[in-house]
Amino acid sequence: MSRTAESFSKPKHNKIMNILAEATGGKSYKAHKYPIDYADRPSIDYGDSEIIWKRRAETTQHRTYVNLLGLSKKLASRDDQILSYFLDGSRRVFKVDDIAFVQSGGRSIIYPVIAGQIGVGCCHRVNKKVVPVQLKREFVLSMPDVADADGKPGFWPATAKKLSECDELKRLGIEFAAILPYKTSKNNDKKLEDRATACVQDRMIESEKKLVAELVREGKLNQNNYLVKDGSLEYRPTKEDKADKRRYQTFKNNYNWVIGVSKNFNPEVCEDINGKPNPGFIADLPLYHRTPVAEYENPMLGDIKFAVWYIRLRDKEKTRTPFDGVLKVEKILVTEEEIEFGIDSEQVDTLSAYLINERNPVCYGSDLRWANHIYPIYLTESFVKSRYLSAESFLHLF
Amino acid sequence: MSKLIGRVLATEKNPTTMDEFNFWTNSDLKLHAFDIVKVVHIEGSYTFGVIENISHITDAQSFLTNFISSDFGDVDIDEPTLRVGMNYAKAKVSFNSKNLYTPVHNNAKVYLATADEITTALGLKGIQNPLVCGSLKMYEGTSEEVTLPVFLNSKFLLGPEGAHLNISGISGLASKTSYAMFLMKAIQDQYLKADTDDSVAFVIFNVKGKDLMAIDRPNDFSTDNPGEKERVLAEYKALGLSTEPFKNVKYYIPYTSNTSAKQSTYLSIDDVKSYTEYGQLKKFKYSYEDDKESLEMLFADIDDPQQTMEAIISKIIDDNDQDFGGGRVNTWTEFREKVDELSQRSQPAGRSSQQRVSNEISVLSWRKFKRIINKATKNDDMFANRPDPNKHECRLADELKKIRENEVYVIDIAKLPEDKQAFVFGDAVRTIYNLKLGEYDAESGVEPPSRIIIFIDELNKYASKEIPKSSPILREILDITERGRSLGVVLFAAEQFRSAIHPRVTGNCATHAYGRTNSIETSTADYRSLPSTYQNMLTRLEQGDYLVQNPIFRSLLKIRFPKPIYKQFK
Repeated sequence: MSRTAESFSKPKHNKIMNILAEATGGKSYKAHKYPIDYADRPSIDYGDSEIIWKRRAETTQHRTYVNLLGLSKKLASRDDQILSYFLDGSRRVFKVDDIAFVQSGGRSIIYPVIAGQIGVGCCHRVNKKVVPVQLKREFVLSMPDVADADGKPGFWPATAKKLSECDELKRLGIEFAAILPYKTSKNNDKKLEDRATACVQDRMIESEKKLVAELVREGKLNQNNYLVKDGSLEYRPTKEDKADKRRYQTFKNNYNWVIGVSKNFNPEVCEDINGKPNPGFIADLPLYHRTPVAEYENPMLGDIKFAVWYIRLRDKEKTRTPFDGVLKVEKILVTEEEIEFGIDSEQVDTLSAYLINERNPVCYGSDLRWANHIYPIYLTESFVKSRYLSAESFLHLF
Repeated sequence: MSKLIGRVLATEKNPTTMDEFNFWTNSDLKLHAFDIVKVVHIEGSYTFGVIENISHITDAQSFLTNFISSDFGDVDIDEPTLRVGMNYAKAKVSFNSKNLYTPVHNNAKVYLATADEITTALGLKGIQNPLVCGSLKMYEGTSEEVTLPVFLNSKFLLGPEGAHLNISGISGLASKTSYAMFLMKAIQDQYLKADTDDSVAFVIFNVKGKDLMAIDRPNDFSTDNPGEKERVLAEYKALGLSTEPFKNVKYYIPYTSNTSAKQSTYLSIDDVKSYTEYGQLKKFKYSYEDDKESLEMLFADIDDPQQTMEAIISKIIDDNDQDFGGGRVNTWTEFREKVDELSQRSQPAGRSSQQRVSNEISVLSWRKFKRIINKATKNDDMFANRPDPNKHECRLADELKKIRENEVYVIDIAKLPEDKQAFVFGDAVRTIYNLKLGEYDAESGVEPPSRIIIFIDELNKYASKEIPKSSPILREILDITERGRSLGVVLFAAEQFRSAIHPRVTGNCATHAYGRTNSIETSTADYRSLPSTYQNMLTRLEQGDYLVQNPIFRSLLKIRFPKPIYKQFK
């Protein structure tokens, strides 16, 4: 009899939230669990406007759009490729619980617990076929920094390890790579969920950086094998990066054969010659043309200088907004020469022409952002996403 | 180990079932309909499937996606990246090695099968009374290509378990006659070697040119490419058959006098002479006295709703008839005169026919009868007074009665007009049927083999759906297909359009061979049971390819057979 009663009172599996509550001394509320990602829909990223647009950053000082139709046709007929590797990182974030911690005065404050799946994948194009090269997949948690009662280093890794040792996760072969503490101080007005999400995002960017570094180390990238990365190259060098000068240079060198291609961008950032924001300059970009290359710095990102330009892949008439069908391309200025005189315009033209040729095939019908997607990146993204644990299975862990 | 070619797909919308499953493969892998694949299944068993269809899909959501991918319709655009695509094949479950017919699991490994596994999967292993009916090729055009002889149980082709063969296909491209001849050659080979009580003989009707008038002469392959002969002979050897043409062949041609300008055969006079010298050829005649009972065969295709023709014929064969019976009429000439006389006879007085004696036949009917009889028998040497055995003449029925085991009778009706073809065919079939019924057992020299195979091309002439129900030939054919299995009379029939054949005839055939046909034909009800891929396949089968259905095969088989080994006339 007593045995039956006992087995009733015991939960079947020790769920993650119970372990976390126990480790942190908080109280799990078993709140509603839901995904907090946005669907992939076309949007204008109004982003930070702190970016400073500087001078033109190419060797030829173009004053207006550059026509690349002829060059792209010529390159298409040659049937060779320099854009060989494609990288995409993505994350899926879920709010999995609310947890309460008793603070001064015996008040308890509730904080959200965020869990994320991070996937970074890289594909290689061989004979027009895209094959996966590498995939990094991680499960992470983000918790309020106050959850660490002692404030001692090593608390979070230890907790993560403890989690991964629990029976249920072991049975499923799942490990949590890290628990990322988010700041709870009230010095900015960002929502706590967003702060936690930002931690997951940062972790993903780190993962991307590592993958790029690996590709470079393996000698896979060179002038005939560029890596096209989905999204911006606005990588923040870490403190460790900056601390070591040589390491910092390596960081930049890693990006010599990397271009970032963004689907979403803030058209406001584009300034005309007079230094006024001029989104119309991009909106009016003719088909198969590029803008002149601009250089910008972002104080948040350190002293790294970026070259940025835009290319129109699709006829304005055939897209919904004038910004659909425009790609924002970024490249880090690496060599002294580049930093001083800008990128070789010929190189920009060639890269742009190759990118223009990537306009086909399209993922029309499967992705609303088809006009801004290039197919190999779309495939890489699909590959990464296909490896995610389904939302149901993932949420069920908590 | 066999080659791993893909994995099973099971989704909510497309589950695997006890009957079928889908699997993906590389788009460049060569697979064909009818290829066998092997799937790993539970408890260490393997499930085998026959490929029915192969589809190619890409990640394009709609046609529009592809259209947009060429810059909204620029036909010259090449893409730097190939769209992700894959092939998936639909397979019908044919067999499981441990009789576990639960659906195969998602992601189960799919392999090509070995020759031995293919044999097992198709139910071709350990067949009793094996009779080769062709060969099948798997994984054609790949390094794993397998060629296997296909055997069927001869008891299911020649009886008593199942009998009769129906071959359909369009002229020329299907080579129906060649396939029937191939099978008969295989049967003769088997029975010549075999040491059984069973015996077989063949009666073949030659309906076209002199196609079948030299089946005991070897094929010289004179019109084929060099090396073809060796290749074909090797094929025969691989199937376990001898490379010699038919043996014990006798030819029968309709009688015409040597001096007549109009010959009733496509054989040249020299051929006829040399065949006769070898004692291989006889000319057949029909005498009124012996063959008047077969007269009804001339009326097989004539509409006779009031059965007046039938009445006339029964009057003629009635021994007690006051006009024809009791030896009053003995020759065709007398017969025609008598009919002429009856068709002249004036009507009894009185206006209405009610006053006529009930068994009296109207003069109009007599006239119709006369027209048909005159057209057929007048000026035809075949309808003669008596055969002269010294001149190599015979009565066909008498010859058929004396058919012995392993003998092949070729009856040439190619040059006869349609009504007389029907007459000869109907008369012969009736004789064979009666022979097997034991009607002539009392006569001397009658020793029929246990099975007689009758081969007739253009079956539609005698057993189409449009033939009047009263047709005596249709009746004979129905008798054979429905009762011949136990009697030992086996019908091998061929026709262009299977859908035109009387359903009771096709329905009673145990074995069906489908050769190349057209899409109008495959859209008829007869082909509805075939999956649409197979239906379409029928419209592009190569010469010498057949889809064969037999009760012992687990599924339809696509087989091929070698070129004829007997002399060909081009």
